[in-house]
Amino acid sequence: MNRYRTKQWVFLTMIVFIFPIPILFLFVKSFSYGWRWPDIFPDQWDGRGWRVIFQDPLLIQSINTTVMIAVIVVLLNLIIAIPAARAISFYNFKGKSVIETLMLTPVFIPELAVSMGIHMTMIRLGLADHVVGVIFIHLYPTLPYSIRILRAGFDKIGKGWEEQAQTIGSNSVQTFWNITMPLILPSVRSAALLTFVISISQYVLTAIIGGGRVTTLSLLYYPYFMSANEAVLASFSVLFALLPFTFFIMTEGLFKLYMFLLRKS
Amino acid sequence: MKSFVQKNKSVWIQILPAALFTIFLTGYSMVMLVKESMASDGNRFKYYSELFRTQTFWDSFYMTLIVALLSTTLALLIGLIITRTFYRLFPSDHWKLIIWLPMLLPHFVAGYILFLLLSQGGFLSSISYQIGWIQEMGQFPVFVQDPFYIGVILSYLWKEIPFVVLMLLPIYQQMNEKYEETARTLGAKKWEVFKTVELPWIWPVLLETGIIIFVFVLSAYEIPGLLGVTYPKLLPVLAYEWFFTGTWENRPLAQAFMVLITVSTVIITFFLIWSAQRLKSRLMKGVDG
Repeated sequence: MNRYRTKQWVFLTMIVFIFPIPILFLFVKSFSYGWRWPDIFPDQWDGRGWRVIFQDPLLIQSINTTVMIAVIVVLLNLIIAIPAARAISFYNFKGKSVIETLMLTPVFIPELAVSMGIHMTMIRLGLADHVVGVIFIHLYPTLPYSIRILRAGFDKIGKGWEEQAQTIGSNSVQTFWNITMPLILPSVRSAALLTFVISISQYVLTAIIGGGRVTTLSLLYYPYFMSANEAVLASFSVLFALLPFTFFIMTEGLFKLYMFLLRKS
Repeated sequence: MKSFVQKNKSVWIQILPAALFTIFLTGYSMVMLVKESMASDGNRFKYYSELFRTQTFWDSFYMTLIVALLSTTLALLIGLIITRTFYRLFPSDHWKLIIWLPMLLPHFVAGYILFLLLSQGGFLSSISYQIGWIQEMGQFPVFVQDPFYIGVILSYLWKEIPFVVLMLLPIYQQMNEKYEETARTLGAKKWEVFKTVELPWIWPVLLETGIIIFVFVLSAYEIPGLLGVTYPKLLPVLAYEWFFTGTWENRPLAQAFMVLITVSTVIITFFLIWSAQRLKSRLMKGVDG
């Protein structure tokens, strides 16, 4: 038993050092000042890195753009993926396996190829260099994952609940909001978070379709890497961790509110 | 019969937006990509032959292939080891969240973390100096922005190993432990237990995860765009630069390039799935006989 404990600790320590600690290091770095080679600790602690970030008006604006694009991409994903995942999970129909495979194609087709192929058409339609085009193209790498996650969720709950609700006489809209939605909420949360992360992390799709006019945070990251000092870039990097975190807290609040209202009615 | 048709209709209405979007966007963009990669007059495959004659292309082709293969194999291997150890050591799985943390960060941030830790002026280099392993900055090995793309591969590993664990852990948790016990009581060694019990159970997911990572690394710009060297550039970086350079004369070249990458990824994917299916039927036969 004791050896088992030791093994547990050794393994956990290794994991902690490899995965979370580097992120923590980034955080520490963002509050450092004048941390030069070969010092193990910085000379001073200072919020300068963060101040530089939040004093750049272009960056503030691009936070808005990034979050707006990501939130709309999340909503569109859910609207499109929930019915599709439900249908694939609950029903058998002709051509189901073909449809399933085809919906996974974005995972196997390089997105760089898709964006280079669609670019001219986007220009003709006036969607290139525009937020709408960027939102549209962000659906491409996110939708397969949303459908996959939600489909697993629907597989888990099964269609028995919905059928029961329908036999006691609730219509399909009622059934969806009162029964299906609360049950599928954990999967909705995972899909929403993953979509949000993928959207704010996009560089190439945003750069090509947005044509450099739609400046999201990831587009600013590269010029910052070239010019800014380490504390500033560390702050910028931490910002990318803070955004999904904030998004997660907020959706959590929304879900709690939804469940509360549901229970009240 | 009528209700059956109606139900079928409603099923298709639910699927249609997702299916149309995916199929249309994939199909249309591929057609346009191929069309724009062809020359309008004379030799239609002009850009392709130009590509094959360029040494830059071949150099980055080989380098990209090595980086993608190494990243994929190592991520699968280490991810598998971590998943197995985790599954054996921890009955409850709330610790898994700490492994998954890197997935919340963009790839380029992962690249920057590697830069901060492993570059010559980085944190590990400082520690090496303090404990006396090196006397000056230049003695620390070049891991980042190196011609062998070690920093790029390490960044990919840091991002993709958690993804492998995410995909594999549920499979292990669904596995019936009885088979393993049986195999052990029959005197199977560790490797044999893994080969006969675990591998048949996990390989479809292992394969799928591998393909996802491989295709991604083959065509992702983010990390090599940040940590790459000027020569040889990785394919996605080269293609992106050709596509975007001032005048648009190199665009067809970049597009021909992406056609080739896409065709190879599709062929590789089909081949892997096909060979996996054959392996599966062979294993099934083994079980029956």
